[in-house]
Amino acid sequence: MPRYMVQRTFPEGLQISIANGGAEVCGAVIERNAEEGVTWVHSYVSVDKRATFCVYDAPSPEAVRRTAARNQLPVDRITQVRVLDPYFYS
Amino acid sequence: MSTSTQSAAAHRHTSALLERDRELDQLEQCLQRVEASSSGMLALVAGEAGAGKTVLLREFGERKGSREWVFQGFCEPLSAPRPLGPFLDLADAVGGEMRELLSAGAKPHAIASALVRELDDRGRASLVVLEDLQWADEATLDVLRLAARRVVEVSALMVVTYRNDELGPWHPLRVLIGELGARQTLVRISLAPLSFEAVAALAAPFGADAEAVYARTGGNPFFVSELLAGGEAELPETVSDAVLARAARLAKSERGLLEAISVAGPQAELWLLDRLVPDAREQLEQCIASGMIVSSGDSVAFRHELARDAVAAAISDHRKLALHAAALEALASPPRGEPDLSRLAHHAAGAGDREAVLRFVPEAAARAAKLGAHREAASLYERALRDADDLPLESRAGLLERRAAECYWFTDFEAAEQSQRQALACYRQLGEELRQGAALSWLSNLVWETGSLAEAQQMALQAAEQVERISTGRERVAAYIQVAQLELAAERPDRAHGWALRASELADELGRPRSVVGAMMTLGWVEFFTGEEAGLERIERAIEMAEAAGFEGEVAGAHVIITRTAARQRRYDLAGRHAHAGLEYCDGRDIDVWRYYLIAWQSKLELARGRWDDAARLAGISLGEPCPFARVHALVALGLVRARRGDPDPWTPLDEALASALPRGEFQWIAPVAAARAEAAWLEGRTDAIGSELEPALGFPMRGNDPYATALAYWRWRGGLEPKCPAGSEQDPLLLEVAGRWAQAADSWRRLGCPYEAALALIASDDDAALRESLQKLQTLGARPAAAIAARRLRERGARGLPRGPRSRTRANPAGLTTRELEVLPLLAEGRRNAEIAERLVVSQRTVDHHVSAILRKLDVRTRGEAAAEATRLGLLSQR
Repeated sequence: MPRYMVQRTFPEGLQISIANGGAEVCGAVIERNAEEGVTWVHSYVSVDKRATFCVYDAPSPEAVRRTAARNQLPVDRITQVRVLDPYFYS
Repeated sequence: MSTSTQSAAAHRHTSALLERDRELDQLEQCLQRVEASSSGMLALVAGEAGAGKTVLLREFGERKGSREWVFQGFCEPLSAPRPLGPFLDLADAVGGEMRELLSAGAKPHAIASALVRELDDRGRASLVVLEDLQWADEATLDVLRLAARRVVEVSALMVVTYRNDELGPWHPLRVLIGELGARQTLVRISLAPLSFEAVAALAAPFGADAEAVYARTGGNPFFVSELLAGGEAELPETVSDAVLARAARLAKSERGLLEAISVAGPQAELWLLDRLVPDAREQLEQCIASGMIVSSGDSVAFRHELARDAVAAAISDHRKLALHAAALEALASPPRGEPDLSRLAHHAAGAGDREAVLRFVPEAAARAAKLGAHREAASLYERALRDADDLPLESRAGLLERRAAECYWFTDFEAAEQSQRQALACYRQLGEELRQGAALSWLSNLVWETGSLAEAQQMALQAAEQVERISTGRERVAAYIQVAQLELAAERPDRAHGWALRASELADELGRPRSVVGAMMTLGWVEFFTGEEAGLERIERAIEMAEAAGFEGEVAGAHVIITRTAARQRRYDLAGRHAHAGLEYCDGRDIDVWRYYLIAWQSKLELARGRWDDAARLAGISLGEPCPFARVHALVALGLVRARRGDPDPWTPLDEALASALPRGEFQWIAPVAAARAEAAWLEGRTDAIGSELEPALGFPMRGNDPYATALAYWRWRGGLEPKCPAGSEQDPLLLEVAGRWAQAADSWRRLGCPYEAALALIASDDDAALRESLQKLQTLGARPAAAIAARRLRERGARGLPRGPRSRTRANPAGLTTRELEVLPLLAEGRRNAEIAERLVVSQRTVDHHVSAILRKLDVRTRGEAAAEATRLGLLSQR
């Protein structure tokens, strides 16, 4: 399955909540990710918390966007990536 | 405890439902919502074979007490399933009009409407359970598709179960589920394997080694119960071994009955078993007591299909043939009612009885075809053909042609073509000239669908000549229509017009309605193609006539003609209306051949409107079906969505589109693919590649005022080449832009309803305000590469302070955790100790202790494990 780096911007920073999405809505998040066959691997968050760099395994860029929309997460840019291990050559 | 009481206790225990409380609650909540709102819901229950789908629903039904409001239907793993099988099961209980329609052989849309009507006005919510839809026939899926959409109108909970491990990527049920998408009224329930704890609880009364049972079964509830019930000292390796071990504990005569049930089933009637096995009813007691067989009224069935499989697979070939033959004989003269054709066909094939195969299988196929179960019909014809070597040529040719027609309806054009070629060979051998001509004309259509225009044209002409010599009737009209349509595909509307006119005159002379409608549609198409409004009116009149006469294929075909022609002319509203009307019409009317093509066009229409999520979703649906001509459009739409957003990998779909379009040798396929590829190259900044991407579309005759042609000129211009604008296309918005009239171009695009193209036209502007507007629009659309081009132009012109992009949406943090707590949470969820977390975050351990207890309090949980689960549930971990 392809791996993607998803860049997101949170202009007010991640911790700001705008509206109460409700626990029910959030509870469906995991199932939604699974429905699209998307796995969140891990993320890097900028120190000011305004940008995140999230690694996903997903069947297609559309699947990444669909889960982002369902989870109400912004998407700035999706890049398909592979691992480069600097110590692989040593 | 004696062995028998221990086993009885164990049996009770294995039938208790473990770890399904959550799923039962989900069903309960659905039902409550339905009852409270009087608006129906659909629940999809998925699980591997043996996950306990049936058991779950039985338990749910029992908990609800009264049974009169529960309607159940089953699909069965026959070689060709009973068309509309589950709805036939429902019909007796539902009653009313639905039963009448089913026995009259009505089409799926009529049956779905009847079902919805019957479920209305029942005074309380109904529960409709459709089981094992992985084996459903096509007509059943058509009814389900419609009923799923309309269930909101009535107070009913519809539950569909299926084995999700048996759906390949192109399984029609998977495509259907994709189409249903995400909606408020749809709930998905998936049955996970049992946990180790649950397996251990089940194994305990048997004194079995829980770890071994768990390791062998992976927690599959059915396998667990079979394994434990087998009572062997050695645990069997496979489900099948476990079942057979259990069966081995029965007496020989009882095993004989099990075998008969496995062959006669899935549901085996008692009277039928009487005819297959001596003293069947006496043996039955023990079989039911063993827990392998369940009885329901006057028939019995295996408790689980997997057990039936295992038993059936272990029967000797000789005995299996004998059982099928006996079942065939018995079912041919049932004590009540008409013989069931699907079952006769199934047992005729199983008994290897050639004569019976040729007698019942084609008949069952014809019935399936009439009900719209084309896949089943095709596979039955195929089965009959296997035994048809000795048939008279004419009968053989008939079977081959019917198989070709069925394959056509579900877009297996290659199989259709192969069958039709064989039929043609039969007619040649017979020296039947008229039939040869008619068969050749139809073959030319199939050859065209699979991708060879030149060969198809040659065949169509030859067929027309051949038919002309003999017939003045419908065959001749049909042959002319075929030639006309292929001339249009070759972009020669003038020649097409001649043939269409001849067809139309001849048809009017004949006065045969189907010929008149067909010729009228074709003539209208040719006229509309060249931009004559009268052509559109002619097609619309043909639609009315076809609707009145019930010519379903023609109605759908005419909507398709208008959709594709209007879309090519950028009349998106008109195209959208007819795509929608065509889909509504195709739904449930067994005309799948056009469904996926129309959906592909819808995806291109959404792309034109700048609605990219919808375009990608519809393209995905269309690509779920191996329909070759639908794929090209869907792949172009998908590739362009990716290219315009700057998402990865626009080239995989665009490469496949090119590879499929090229061999067809038609401008209508190659030009849009070439233009899309040029656009994608431009968005990647590879302007120099544009020329070679456009290359395949050159060398075709081009007309003025054809957007496919102007798009090629436009991209040549963007690629720094001579645009060579086709004459008579000056008002085309793309060429307005080439002529430097960008404001006018943008206005045109706005009027057409194309926001992306409107914004793109302004990129060529020399006006800072227009450029800023362009940039802002492109950013709103999420068109990253084009926005970057607009921004670069502005910067080159000295602009400062450009917006970086639209303000992003942020999301709620429902538990109200602080920033620091949100930092601690993922580390905690990873299972790190407080000391480790403290080290990571460079704070004191005491501070981390505080944060952790605050997190536990806010999430209302007791342990760190629960905190991790709750945080995941709330989406607090996935929001980064």
